[in-house]
Amino acid sequence: MNTPVTLYRDLFTELEKSLPGYDSLPLRGLRQEGMQHFMDKGFPSQRLENWKYTPVKAISQKIYHINNHACQGLDPSDLLPYLIAPLGVYRLVFVNGWFSQTLSDLHDLPDGVRVESMAKLVKEAPDMLEPYLKNKKSGSDQGFTHLNDALWSDGAYIHLSPGTRLERPLHLFFLTATSKKSMMTLPRNIVVAGADSHAWIVESFASLGHFPHMTNAHSTIVLHDHAHVHHLLHLGENHSAQHVGTVESTQKGDSRLDSQLFSFGGERTRQEIHVQLAGEQAECSLDGLFIGNGRQHMDFHTSIHHTHANTRSQQLYKGILAGHAHGVFNGIITVPPHVHHTQSNQLSTNLLLSDTAEIDTKPQLEINSDAVQCSHGATVGSLDPEALFYLQSRGLDASTARNLLIQGFAEELLQRITPKLVQNWIEKHFNKGEYHHES
Amino acid sequence: MNILEIQNLQVSVMNKPILRGLDLRLGEGEIHAIMGPNGSGKSTLANILVGRGDYQITAGTIRYQGEDLIVRSPEERAMAGVFLAFQNPVEIPGVSNARLLKEAFNAHRRYGHLPEMDAMTFRTHLQERAKHLGLSDDWLLRPINVGFSGGEKKRNELLQMLVLEPNLAILDEIDSGLDIDALTDVANGINALRNNLRSMLLITHYPRLLEQVHPDKVHVLIGGRIVMTGGMDLAGRLEEQGYGWLSEVAA
Ligand SMILES: Nc1ncnc2c1ncn2[C@@H]1O[C@H](COP(=O)(O)OP(=O)(O)O)[C@@H](O)[C@H]1O
Ligand SMILES: [Mg+2]
Repeated sequence: MNTPVTLYRDLFTELEKSLPGYDSLPLRGLRQEGMQHFMDKGFPSQRLENWKYTPVKAISQKIYHINNHACQGLDPSDLLPYLIAPLGVYRLVFVNGWFSQTLSDLHDLPDGVRVESMAKLVKEAPDMLEPYLKNKKSGSDQGFTHLNDALWSDGAYIHLSPGTRLERPLHLFFLTATSKKSMMTLPRNIVVAGADSHAWIVESFASLGHFPHMTNAHSTIVLHDHAHVHHLLHLGENHSAQHVGTVESTQKGDSRLDSQLFSFGGERTRQEIHVQLAGEQAECSLDGLFIGNGRQHMDFHTSIHHTHANTRSQQLYKGILAGHAHGVFNGIITVPPHVHHTQSNQLSTNLLLSDTAEIDTKPQLEINSDAVQCSHGATVGSLDPEALFYLQSRGLDASTARNLLIQGFAEELLQRITPKLVQNWIEKHFNKGEYHHES
Repeated sequence: MNILEIQNLQVSVMNKPILRGLDLRLGEGEIHAIMGPNGSGKSTLANILVGRGDYQITAGTIRYQGEDLIVRSPEERAMAGVFLAFQNPVEIPGVSNARLLKEAFNAHRRYGHLPEMDAMTFRTHLQERAKHLGLSDDWLLRPINVGFSGGEKKRNELLQMLVLEPNLAILDEIDSGLDIDALTDVANGINALRNNLRSMLLITHYPRLLEQVHPDKVHVLIGGRIVMTGGMDLAGRLEEQGYGWLSEVAA
């Protein structure tokens, strides 16, 4: 029987030899292991607690084809609408899942900072990558990740030596040039921030054209002692796109991760962000802003595991949902026994702009230690009619008043974006956001 | 000419009559005070004038500059120069005072077929007015009314009035909860805008503000009707004697 799972197995058999890392036995083994897990477990079932609200069937029923070579023929000017800024940013561009040298710009990278295409590096230094490619999870909820383990094509490898700083933001840009032949891209990124290093990394996803496509992305971020990484995710694919992504981050002592997620696109988007605070005084801040309209599905899952004492985490996720959009926020905080003096705050606030929009939001705490500080909460509301009237009474028409209130709702998260260049870029995307169309 | 003419205005909230045949005429350049006990319908009148939705107008007419006001939307009224300083202005997180003022000011300019003011000139325009009310520059960057004290909210309403320069300003208890200094700032703000075309309705409980502003008339609103009209002496008498002696007139 040809189920999607067996079809992907056949595809794997066909493509395996051409995928990066085939010449390295351990890496070949990791891909095969990923495929084996995928065969065993398949796509996650909605019966699983953390997949309960995700329309997995709708995401996985379609068979996508996978491209094993780079797409040629894109002109740098095609990229302009998607770039943070033409100058002042390092840029790695991936088209249909593969690195494009001509569209990228890595001029003047400081010494000690290595930025490469994974597909290229895997040939030169497979041993270096192996530990980061090993997927330690293998539950029945890991289907998409296992598929990525098996079939990943390319992505960015970023290594910051101890004490190095990337002064300009590094933009990892994943563009799918869509066509009638629906394609799945499977990017894989690795970021290793050495002790005392500092970087701004922006990962963004977009589509050229309006045909359906799927992205199955995976990023691993490792922060060593005192490292500080800003990781901003911008999900802005077309309205027929399926996006499933995972970020796995491990933090050593005194390190700091600032994760900011901005999700405005896609038909169905699911992003997971998992953080291990695995060193004393490590801290992370996870921000998220998502906007859904029409029949968009926006689905976010965070988990923060405080494995060490004196670690801190903070989360603020805000959803704006119009039309028939459906949002999900599920955040898990775990503190094992005997881990003391942790601090965790989590807040999910949501703005529903129509009676038909929906949000499922659920904080989950698994706290087995006493000496902790923890707060969490979730709110769901609509635009305040008093505030709308107030603005109109000052001369603003109804739609300007409405937009101002929606922007006001998001403002706190937009304000926290640094540097200014990136903030302006996200604000631009936000301001032409889909919430403008009443539906 | 009268800028505002209200005849036999009857307004209900959830089928409960609040205004019960109210008549009022306000001439160009005039300032009238409206006084009255709590719950007599003062704020209802103010809200009706700026087009708030949750009231039913069951009878009567309101003419502003000779034209029917009731048919116009709140924003049309604002741009035609009607302004209400709310008794309890709402808090709007994430939207700065400057942002609102810029949007509102430019909406007014467009309505008057004037070009939008450039950012620098507008900034100066704002800062001058903020200073007039004793408000600091960073005030403008704060979200609208969020965490403001009662007095700060009142000043903020007045700042909007000074920037938008309305033809008809209705100030609903702008003086409640203000100390003497703040009251003087507010009175100065009102007097600064005063000219022979601009008119104001001051809703108040106290003669203190009226002593600094010198209204042309003082009306007493009880039970949804204007039951008496007089001058400053009437305000003084109300302060001393309350409204009890008027209940016969009101019945
Ligand atoms: N939105 C409303 N919903 C219900 N009742 C209202 C509303 N607005 C006013 N009222 C009622 O109308 C009456 C007049 O209120 P208001 O106009 O605020 O009086 P004042 O400003 O003179 O104190 C009061 O009895 C008040 O409870
Ligand atoms: Mg009142």
